[in-house]
Amino acid sequence: MTKGEQLLADMRRARRSGDPRLDDADRAILRRLTSGDLADEFAEALAQDLVDDDLLGGTSPDDK
Amino acid sequence: MIIVDEYLAIRSLVGDTPSDLPDDVLAITTSVHWRILQRLHLPGGGQLSQAMAALSEPGRAAFRRPAPEILEILDPRPLLDQAAEISAAYGGTGLLIAEMLTASLHHGRTLWYGSERNVGRRTRDIARDLGITVNVVT
Repeated sequence: MTKGEQLLADMRRARRSGDPRLDDADRAILRRLTSGDLADEFAEALAQDLVDDDLLGGTSPDDK
Repeated sequence: MIIVDEYLAIRSLVGDTPSDLPDDVLAITTSVHWRILQRLHLPGGGQLSQAMAALSEPGRAAFRRPAPEILEILDPRPLLDQAAEISAAYGGTGLLIAEMLTASLHHGRTLWYGSERNVGRRTRDIARDLGITVNVVT
């Protein structure tokens, strides 16, 4: 493996392992948003952002 | 670089990206980052707000200022004129849609979403018209 390949592999590994500032409890909370018991509430909150803000969501109902 | 939505952005911070997501640098638009930040800063009494309030300070910092080697936030300024042009051409879309479509035109003509629910009908229609592929990976 060349130095460049090693560097790219290290970068890939770092990218795949996530942000080290998140501890295990943080990661557990965020998994609840994306695929756990808070997924519905998270999806509704994202959709509500578009309803509440015409600049972000536009004015057509189809954009919401 | 590939353009992702809120779901995949959060999963990248967690280190839990889907295996079928391309192995590339992930990026979000400022509008997407804005929606993520709303979850941190908007007050609310629901379970979601309570959960977000329980994040550690370093965890909140990872949301507020993502490490670019994990998740890049695109500078909106070079994209804004084209985003406004796309918005106007398709009847005044919101910034979220226009910015994501514009970003994808500059980065491989693909968009990656982590939830089918997060892809609006207008996004699909305009993306098809612009030759942009919309992918959903869970």
